[in-house]
Amino acid sequence: MRDFLAWVQASALGVAIRESGVWTYAILNLFHILGVATLFGSILILDLRLLGFWRRVPLAALSRATIPLAKVGFAIAATTGVGLLSTNATEYVGNPFLLIKFPAIALGLVNVWVLSRLPAWRAHVERDLTAREHRQLAVMGGISLASWLTAVAAGRMIGYW
Amino acid sequence: MQKQSIRFSLSLFAAFGLVAALSSPVAAHHGWGGNADQETTLTGTLAAPVSLAGPHGTFKLKTADGQVWDITLAPPARTAGAGLKEGVIPIGATVTVRGHRNKTTNRFEMKTEHVTWNNRTFEVYADRH
Repeated sequence: MRDFLAWVQASALGVAIRESGVWTYAILNLFHILGVATLFGSILILDLRLLGFWRRVPLAALSRATIPLAKVGFAIAATTGVGLLSTNATEYVGNPFLLIKFPAIALGLVNVWVLSRLPAWRAHVERDLTAREHRQLAVMGGISLASWLTAVAAGRMIGYW
Repeated sequence: MQKQSIRFSLSLFAAFGLVAALSSPVAAHHGWGGNADQETTLTGTLAAPVSLAGPHGTFKLKTADGQVWDITLAPPARTAGAGLKEGVIPIGATVTVRGHRNKTTNRFEMKTEHVTWNNRTFEVYADRH
């Protein structure tokens, strides 16, 4: 872990960010927050719908709007996150919140991967789902919400360790 | 369904609350809550150069007893605005800092308000006495 973080810090990216002026970290941080807000905000709406909120809003309509937004948010958060980490990566050796955050993100992504392969999910754009399929998707929504909530909470706490 | 939704929202809020409650005692580089109220003055030699790369400016100070302290300054733009830019103080130079040390006795970290070197004082947190 320490070796990996030291390598990230010594990378060309880390060097470039450290040498690029006193506002760089703050601006990266700003875009990281915008990315996280976009990702979490859109995921929250979709997950709550899967868990049974707003039953009268068609799931297909919500997923069409929220999923591309979540992808954009994730891309922004992930790229700026790598940048933030590389500025001073060794600072985070032994930070317990980092060890909660990254597995939580991994779980969230695995959940996305599994969901995208579920017959119930694939069917939601074509037809009404059965009660059983709704329950299946609700479980996926619950896991998603738990993992992203944990990732955001642990991410915020990294700076307070 | 309606009742279930309300119950679910309540548990969601409870989860947020739990996270907030568990995390409130930990505070390091945000705010001054994790630092002692009284001021500490340290004199030593610059062991690692001033860096303005992260959320705060930093450097390391080695005191006469051999302890290396992590010196936390203001955010980069403000630290640079006080005149304390990267490369100004050479490694090994004698530096005096005044600020508030970490409350945890085995964490040698200090949030610093004043840095004195070579008869120059950098007031990185000028509004704090």
